[in-house]
Amino acid sequence: MSEMEILTISNLQKRFGEKQVLRGLNLSVPEHSVFGFVGRNGAGKTTAMKAVLGLLRTDGGEIRVAGEKVLYGQTATNRYIGYLPDVPEFYSFMTAHEYLKLCGESLGMNRHAIDQRSTQLLSLVGLSAEKHRIKGYSRGMKQRLGIAQALLARPKLLICDEPTSALDPIGRKDILDILLAVKDETTVLFSTHILSDVERICTDVALLHNGQIAMQGSVDLLKRTRRPEAFTVEMTDHHAAVHLANAFCDARPTEQDTLVFSGGEMQMFAVLDFIQRNKLSIRRIERSEASLESLFMEVLKK
Amino acid sequence: MSAFTAFFKKEVLENLRNGKLIILGILSFALGIMNPAIAKLTPWLLDLLSEQLAGSGMIVTDVPVNALTAWTQFFKNIPIALIVFVFLYSSTLTGEYETGTLVLILTKGLSRYQVLLAKFGTMLILWSSAYWLCFGITYAYTAYFWDNSIAVGRFSAAIHWWLFGVFVVALMILFSTLSKQYSGVLLGTGGSVLALYLLGFLPKIANYTPTALMHSTALLAGAESADDYRKTIVVTALISIACICTSIPVFNKKQL
Repeated sequence: MSEMEILTISNLQKRFGEKQVLRGLNLSVPEHSVFGFVGRNGAGKTTAMKAVLGLLRTDGGEIRVAGEKVLYGQTATNRYIGYLPDVPEFYSFMTAHEYLKLCGESLGMNRHAIDQRSTQLLSLVGLSAEKHRIKGYSRGMKQRLGIAQALLARPKLLICDEPTSALDPIGRKDILDILLAVKDETTVLFSTHILSDVERICTDVALLHNGQIAMQGSVDLLKRTRRPEAFTVEMTDHHAAVHLANAFCDARPTEQDTLVFSGGEMQMFAVLDFIQRNKLSIRRIERSEASLESLFMEVLKK
Repeated sequence: MSAFTAFFKKEVLENLRNGKLIILGILSFALGIMNPAIAKLTPWLLDLLSEQLAGSGMIVTDVPVNALTAWTQFFKNIPIALIVFVFLYSSTLTGEYETGTLVLILTKGLSRYQVLLAKFGTMLILWSSAYWLCFGITYAYTAYFWDNSIAVGRFSAAIHWWLFGVFVVALMILFSTLSKQYSGVLLGTGGSVLALYLLGFLPKIANYTPTALMHSTALLAGAESADDYRKTIVVTALISIACICTSIPVFNKKQL
């Protein structure tokens, strides 16, 4: 059960007129992950998500949610899903409580459960003190209410379409914190083009490019296996740094007394050996961390 | 069923809060008062103008006014109420398409046909309430001045006109599923009514067009009886049902 896939997409195709947006998209989202769905604007993230919700007719491929096939126009699989669109629109004449009540009743929940869950969720998203109608809400407040309505029925999968894109830094942090807070009770799939958001909260990530998944996997694993062949050595004094730089032609000085070596493990051992033999004093030695950004840039360039 | 009730309650709350209910209420009330009032004031108005009219060669004699005059006013004014109603509610679905409010509710498991039926039900109730409120006020106020019974066909004529309104509501629902825009609903509904009205000039099918339900003069005076309109009523009811039945599959396949 631990490694069950909550969502699998295989060979998904979609074209809008002449434009082929999705060309055989394959994606699998493991349960209890926080899954970042990354791609440039217009890459087809929203299209893919709408297809998962059965809101869009696809041209081929198969989507399964919790093992059940998704059919266009049908809502059966949506009972597993909570959905937050990129710009959520609510009935502005209602209050947050009234809106959640409408959602709960549409979901067939009983009155007591609706009351309890609404109160709990509104406090989670920080709207419990808000008594005004939705008409006066800011974008961030709407996003937060959007998360609350999506989580109302305790879905197995929470899908958020660009939840942070239109927000200021504080609003973004609020949303990310909420998403982190709910990962114990649901799987979170969110699309974004902001990589720092992914690095901040995601366990898994997929990169959508040219209508296909260019790269996907656990964030840790991707960073580890795609580690660039480089390491940094910082010396305690200038003399040692010069000494070391003279010995290795690939050493590139960056900051003061700091050298960056391009090369793998063997190169590092050679450098360490030289340092030991010459009794050079080092402050630190560090293997370079791959940032998702550099990883993605590399993939996109290919 | 609870999902349908929830959406229906939302529709009612929306009408209470966006002021449309108040507009309809005021309009019905005002028209209801105006119908007999205008009838009552006609002789006085003509008297006031008589000198001017005499100057242009027209002689004003005593104009007899009675309940029939008031009821004629009712059927002259009720189209205004229907037109206002069409303008107010043509956006009932297209407004939701534009803002995207339906998407969230539909992903909650509310079926599309429930949305459609809740909208239709709300509009039906609103049209009926507004219409019969106007009718009731006209009736009571006319009874205060004259004897209603000389307008023999007042009830059948009123039921016919109400049914015509129901037919227009069904058209609005159909065009709301066919079109994405407010203007599309207005044009579709208005265009259909106009087309039927023009078709009504052909003697062979005149009795089968829903627009024939708007003819009230002969009924009021008792020159025609309700039986003469049986075919029209059946045809109108059938077309209305067909409109709703067509709109459901259209709406089910609509890309939102």
